[in-house]
Amino acid sequence: MNKIEVLGPGCSRCKETFRVVRHVVEQAGLQVEVVKDESIERMMALGLMATPGVVIDGKVVVSGRIPKADEVRRLLGIA
Amino acid sequence: MTTLSPVAPAPRQTIVWQRAVLTGVGLALLVLLYTQLQRIAGFVTYDLVSLTRGSHLASAVEFFIFEVPKVLLLLTGVVFVVGVMRSFFTPERARQLLAGKREASGNVLAALFGIATPFCSCSAVPLFIGFVTAGVPLGVTFSFLISAPMVNEVALVLLFGLFGWKVAGLYLATGLGIAIIAGWIIGRLKLERHVEPWVWQIQSGSAAADVSKTWTDRLTDGRAAVREIVGKVWLYVVLGIAVGAGIHGYVPTNFMASFMGRDVWWAVPLAVLLGVPMYSNAAGIIPIVQALLGKGAALGTVLAFMMAVIALSLPEMIILRKVLRPVLIATFIGVVATGILVVGYLFNAVM
Repeated sequence: MNKIEVLGPGCSRCKETFRVVRHVVEQAGLQVEVVKDESIERMMALGLMATPGVVIDGKVVVSGRIPKADEVRRLLGIA
Repeated sequence: MTTLSPVAPAPRQTIVWQRAVLTGVGLALLVLLYTQLQRIAGFVTYDLVSLTRGSHLASAVEFFIFEVPKVLLLLTGVVFVVGVMRSFFTPERARQLLAGKREASGNVLAALFGIATPFCSCSAVPLFIGFVTAGVPLGVTFSFLISAPMVNEVALVLLFGLFGWKVAGLYLATGLGIAIIAGWIIGRLKLERHVEPWVWQIQSGSAAADVSKTWTDRLTDGRAAVREIVGKVWLYVVLGIAVGAGIHGYVPTNFMASFMGRDVWWAVPLAVLLGVPMYSNAAGIIPIVQALLGKGAALGTVLAFMMAVIALSLPEMIILRKVLRPVLIATFIGVVATGILVVGYLFNAVM
């Protein structure tokens, strides 16, 4: 795993999602890049139409909702 | 993802069953509680607190004790069911079904999808681009964008709980009607050139599917919706009902009739004009609706006000300005506001 992207136009739900993901990654001490991308182009390239979205290595795993920390851990395979 | 939860399958199965049974028992208890609320409210008001039957205070207190748990229970139930239902609908699926649809039938479908699909106004831009670049007609896209905020489950529950199924049904039917007709009109006006040109250049990727869901996931979605929505609006609901209870007990009816009654022709346009720039969620606006109705304002006027507040908002217009030129935004506001105006007059005439 190299990169986790949090996509969204910068609304509060997107910021909350970014916070959750970053918290999980930091807590687990993972060496992975977490970026927040607010560009429409990136969302469209991935076909994402509901924000916030979480993307792991170019694959959309969450769309249109704020994931809980447990779910993020499961998605990252560290549950 | 190839890495899955390391939990062994057997205990996981047991957990699923335990959860299903617990959910069932919980639901049964809630239904039982719901049916007994009138009795409990009466008991607390007259036996426990011993207020005098027929007094203003007793009537207000009984109303409050009955309505608060009733509306909160209804809200929790409906938001849960809607949350589970929405796990079946994604914008990606709506887009697949709507792409290449003809107008008219496409508008109807889009308005229905608008209710069923989870939507937040911050997703309006990616959703709009995703739809139009995949070949969903502009008017059909607008039907979706209008019905998504307009027909709102929280508003529906509150209207049902506080005013009965007729008002709730009217709101649902007319909200859908406006979304269908306004979208159809926007489609007929051929305004595609008023979409910002860069939108058409965007290469929209194939449907990004959220990982396929099990029933456990769907129930989790339902609970998450309850936490997010009920957690956000419960205070408005309680405050609103408190105001309503005060009105119920004390304020003489027909107080508002002179300036928001059905005989005042300019009341509906004024309500829409006031409502359009205002921005509030349904839970925040319905207490006001209740207060106005309780004082004798006409139903059509009040519904028009509510629809204008929740369906058209300044923040959403600013977000949409990124992809729409002013002419199209103005047309959008104009058509929807006219629809709301018609609904207002219609109700004032028939109710």
